[in-house]
Amino acid sequence: MEKEEEKNLVEEPYSEYGSYTYADYLTWEIDHMVELIKGKVFRQAAAAPRRIHQELVLKIGVQLGGLLKGKTCKVYVAPFDVRLPVKSKKHQDITTVVQPDICVVCDHGKLDELGCVGAPDLIMEILSPSNNKKELQNKYEVYEESGVKEYWIIHPYEKTLLVYTLVNGKYIPSRLFTLGDLVPSQCIEGFVLDLDELFEGLE
Amino acid sequence: MEKEVDKSLVEEPYSEYGSYTYADYLTWEIDHMVELIKGKVFRQAAAAPRRIHQEISGRIFFKLYLNLEKKKCKVFSAPFDVRLPVKSKKHKDINTVVQPDICVVCDPEKLDELGCVGAPDLIMEILSPSNNKKELQNKYEVYEESGVKEYWIIHPYEKTLLIYSLVNGKYIPSRLFTLGDHVASSCIKGFVLDLEELFEGLE
Repeated sequence: MEKEEEKNLVEEPYSEYGSYTYADYLTWEIDHMVELIKGKVFRQAAAAPRRIHQELVLKIGVQLGGLLKGKTCKVYVAPFDVRLPVKSKKHQDITTVVQPDICVVCDHGKLDELGCVGAPDLIMEILSPSNNKKELQNKYEVYEESGVKEYWIIHPYEKTLLVYTLVNGKYIPSRLFTLGDLVPSQCIEGFVLDLDELFEGLE
Repeated sequence: MEKEVDKSLVEEPYSEYGSYTYADYLTWEIDHMVELIKGKVFRQAAAAPRRIHQEISGRIFFKLYLNLEKKKCKVFSAPFDVRLPVKSKKHKDINTVVQPDICVVCDPEKLDELGCVGAPDLIMEILSPSNNKKELQNKYEVYEESGVKEYWIIHPYEKTLLIYSLVNGKYIPSRLFTLGDHVASSCIKGFVLDLEELFEGLE
């Protein structure tokens, strides 16, 4: 477990043992993207996401965009910085900055020029063959703690979806959905994901 | 959805609308394997499972085998017929016969020459890029109804594991586990799956 974690950590220009804030993050001039989770730096994969990953993001983004047109909630796709403040919204107090594949934000007070500050209502991550620890352990934890109401996780190869729903501050997992399932969101009214449609023609 | 269901149904020598029992199943002389779920015939993929599927299945089997040596529970891997009777154990009354990737049976009474009759204590299925409806919808239902205590589901490509545990006759899903997690079975004492070890070197 230790080994794996070290692999995900960026070694330069940060120290492995350092703890960083959004204020540091904004100063880094590096040629790869990173995320910051509880002060730790996580490197994004150097290569662009695989085709199937991007097709899924696009399909869902388009569906959400159409549904939310003219409504208060807004949809964003990665790369888009989401800061999850704990104590204060000051740059130097924020130690978690993530770039979810898809997020929906219904409170305009959370949007500023740099992105979103505060928990989006819904976040979706599409898993890849590597680095799912970040999504399923580190991000899971901060999404739950910061109050993201629904956290949707998609397995693109096996064509499944799992939804974590926040109930009294804790995530409750759904069953695994797959082809044939129509999955509604509780927090984004009117949003139903048809998994047959989503996964159609992706091979 | 209808289309999808039809694809996985065997068309010959059975009628699409027929309902079959284990007594019928035993008479079929066909060159592919099938499963029977609530009287419906589901064709297994013609090709053997992919390499990654078989490596994972082999690793888990080996681990369970060592764990269960000299104990009364026994582990079996596919192809192995598991009959899930509803009313009676007579061949003509059984209309569900499945071949789980891995199963553990602790009650010797359930074992006979043909396989297992009655619910195994634990079943594991390793998902493939196709046909997960059968695992996640049809089998989910019959495993829950027949009282399989734990149903473990593995996504080989994204390296995740989800466990359904039977609580008062209903399955409660776990969170999604991945690399770094050590996952213990509640019903098979002493069995802990180290996901780092399980998924190591599979690419």
